[in-house]
Amino acid sequence: MKKTLKEKLAESRQAYAATGCYAGITEPRLLRSDPIAAELFHSRLLAALIAGRETTKMISGSPYVREVAELAIGLYTPEGHNIAQSTGIQAHSRPMGEAIQWMIEHDWEEKVGIAPGDLFWFNECSVAGMHPADVYDILPVFREGELVAWVCTVIMEMDIGAVSPGCMPVPNVERATDGVRFAGEKVGSHDQLRHDIVTKCEMSFDMADMFLLDRKGAIAANLHVRREVEKLIGECGLEWFRTATCELIEEERRNQLARLRQRTVPGRYRNVISFEYYMAQQPTSWLPAKRDVIRLAPMETRIDASGRVVLDFEGAGEWGWHSFNATPSGMWGCLAIGIVQTLSWDGRANLGSLLPFELELPRGTVFNPGDTRPLAQANTWATTIETFSAWMATLSQTYFMRGFREEMLGFRSAYSIAMVGYDQYGQRRPLLAACTGTIGSAASAVRDGLDPGALLPTPEVDRGNAEIWEAFVPHLDLSHRLDPYSAGAGRYRSGLCMPIMNLIHGGREIVGSALVSGGTYGILPNLGLSGGYPGGKLIRAVLHDTNVAQLIAERRPLVHELGSPADPDYARLIEARISHPHHVPEPFALANGDITIDAHGAPGGFGDPLERELEAICRDLDNGLITAEIAARLYGAEARFDTRMQSWQIDEDASARRRREKRAERLARAVPAREFWVGRSRQLAAREFDPLISEMYASSMKLSESFAQEFRDFWALPASWQPEVP
Amino acid sequence: MPLSREDLADLIDGRLPWPQVKAIVSTPKDDDRFQRLLEVLQTRVAWAERILMPLGDHLYVVEKGTERIVKCDCGQEFGDWRCNWKLHSLVLVRDGEASLQEIWPGRSAPDPRLCEVREYICPGCATLLKVETVPFGYPVVFDALPDLDVFYREWLHAPLSSESACEDRSLTVIGQWAADRGAPPGPN
Repeated sequence: MKKTLKEKLAESRQAYAATGCYAGITEPRLLRSDPIAAELFHSRLLAALIAGRETTKMISGSPYVREVAELAIGLYTPEGHNIAQSTGIQAHSRPMGEAIQWMIEHDWEEKVGIAPGDLFWFNECSVAGMHPADVYDILPVFREGELVAWVCTVIMEMDIGAVSPGCMPVPNVERATDGVRFAGEKVGSHDQLRHDIVTKCEMSFDMADMFLLDRKGAIAANLHVRREVEKLIGECGLEWFRTATCELIEEERRNQLARLRQRTVPGRYRNVISFEYYMAQQPTSWLPAKRDVIRLAPMETRIDASGRVVLDFEGAGEWGWHSFNATPSGMWGCLAIGIVQTLSWDGRANLGSLLPFELELPRGTVFNPGDTRPLAQANTWATTIETFSAWMATLSQTYFMRGFREEMLGFRSAYSIAMVGYDQYGQRRPLLAACTGTIGSAASAVRDGLDPGALLPTPEVDRGNAEIWEAFVPHLDLSHRLDPYSAGAGRYRSGLCMPIMNLIHGGREIVGSALVSGGTYGILPNLGLSGGYPGGKLIRAVLHDTNVAQLIAERRPLVHELGSPADPDYARLIEARISHPHHVPEPFALANGDITIDAHGAPGGFGDPLERELEAICRDLDNGLITAEIAARLYGAEARFDTRMQSWQIDEDASARRRREKRAERLARAVPAREFWVGRSRQLAAREFDPLISEMYASSMKLSESFAQEFRDFWALPASWQPEVP
Repeated sequence: MPLSREDLADLIDGRLPWPQVKAIVSTPKDDDRFQRLLEVLQTRVAWAERILMPLGDHLYVVEKGTERIVKCDCGQEFGDWRCNWKLHSLVLVRDGEASLQEIWPGRSAPDPRLCEVREYICPGCATLLKVETVPFGYPVVFDALPDLDVFYREWLHAPLSSESACEDRSLTVIGQWAADRGAPPGPN
């Protein structure tokens, strides 16, 4: 008798639990017996997925697909285990499988029916996913009446019917404000969407045309992959296909363990990150949500003798009524996208890449709220990106120790202004432009970081064409210049960021909010390595009631770069009423002629900045990547511009003197660690710290006695010591 | 991809041209990288102790007699490898507006009410060994505690002469500080 999908899933899990090998494959033989056939098989699967993704880009009309390519396609076993993944946004490789498994476990086969040509949608993030804007199009693949695989495409939507600004809103805290959610709904059959579903979309979304075009792109991609899989099965036979796909996962599990043993060092690694959720002034009707909190996330990574990795978040603070809580599914997604960029980048990443990892996410924390159905989840990304950007610094530390210094890689979160209002064509809708492609990467121990082009969520980061965004959103792009003040200083500096500067133009009744892909603001993330500094805090400015029209009429300069944050260009060059909203701002009005600015700090530099080669500093000066003021202040380099040579010159003797002075100053100002400890311990004992910090520690200690104990032990505080809760 | 000793030295020094670095990134890793790295690093330090593990740009775990300690390449020693070496360093703390502005000017500075920046400095050579940016009052972060014996015995198949348990012993330092301070008497 034919097994149900539910039975197959249970069997697969039991086999893994019993053997530690995927599907119980203790001795993979098939692919090893014919390496050429194995290589061809995998190449054809990957080619089908990548071709499917490219197909989507040609059909879809959304700039998120066409300009920044926020999509990916995966192939899954009948049990929902990822076999192969296209290029693109890798975070979904596991969550898409979790969505399929949830459908299996909730009797979809029996009660909903799964037939050839059926189409399913999924963006129910309380089950699986990164946020509701990421919509999964799921298609089963059948052979001789039996479901033999699934194809799933994810596309990020710019409009999911949420409250303003319509996608990834900040002020929303309850589920219903998140927009439309699909929990595996059967939305079509015979490869066609149902008429009533299409109508529902047209009624639900301001940008239904974009949403439906994306679906057509996704369906086309899925059909392409299905056809290629059917062809492959026809050529190699169903049993060979079944065994080979399972072996691809098991082989990748083994390879990943081998990579971990080859490139890392067993032991215990620690870092910490914090998230600032400022909701007190947000216009939400669920009043308990109106509070500002900071949440702590101690992060311990343990690599054992076998190479297995445990990421332990014991001590994390509580979940809250906001849209930034992470979920276990989202955490796995962000882990996947981190490791695919440093460990498993050979195109063979699949579920097996994740099997050597374990996440310990205590229930009740910001990483694992438990039942998230009542919660808005529009910005789950924010917390997961921030967390795994910090984890990449830990992974880089292990690469450094093992000698693979060229593999060190790091990221940092990004923010931009999101809007809603009437566009330049008179339509009211979400007005989002991507903030991808604006952040530099962290330095490694062998070279500077990459100037813009680093973002944890996608390895193929792209800011897109300014002209396309200008056609799509009522703004004019004022800057694509690198910001010298954004870098994290070090012997090797981080990459530089590009400020996002837009002049509002052509719209009306526009409300500003934010696209949030992080959680840190006033507390810098701990991303510097071996003496390198992280870049600074996000600088967000909104210039209202500007004299831009007059400046343009008089042909005088506008603002195109940040300049020194101590004396920013926007404050000098433009007459305006300036506000500085924080990273998760309350809604604010925007009018034509206003200017919005987001200038990011980059991740960390590597090594002592006073050891940076003078030649590298001179090169940066000549390329406009640093200023003489930064060179002197952070790097101890004395530089002057040679007007005859039209290039910068470094005075080596004066620089050597300055660096000696700076080292002497360090010794004069620094104190023995013991002295620091005594002072800080006294302050903590007397509870001399900010109420936000106090509440943050109280939240972690409430959930974790071991964290509380360790905190008190470190500062030698009495057993009765507790932070005050304001 | 096998690396010549010269190329490895150039890679460590950041002198290897990017096309070669890119090729190293894109090709299978060399299994003996660690051992060959140690060979290069050992020739660059003025002291004789065997390097067991690099921890940072200037810091190493070394074998000193029967002990394993953390040592800077200038010769400064930071005590048992299982105690956080930062507890034996100098600390320059930036937790006020003025000191933070020295690094991050204007609005790019972190919030001194919430964030503190600790710069750990080698007492021997004044090198900045680590910058820590954390919420105010967070315990000093013990970045890396490598399990040396498991690593050498099971991953390199070259066990070290004497084994010792890999456990965090930082609280022994803290306990001493607390005792010296008078009250309260040691960790609770």
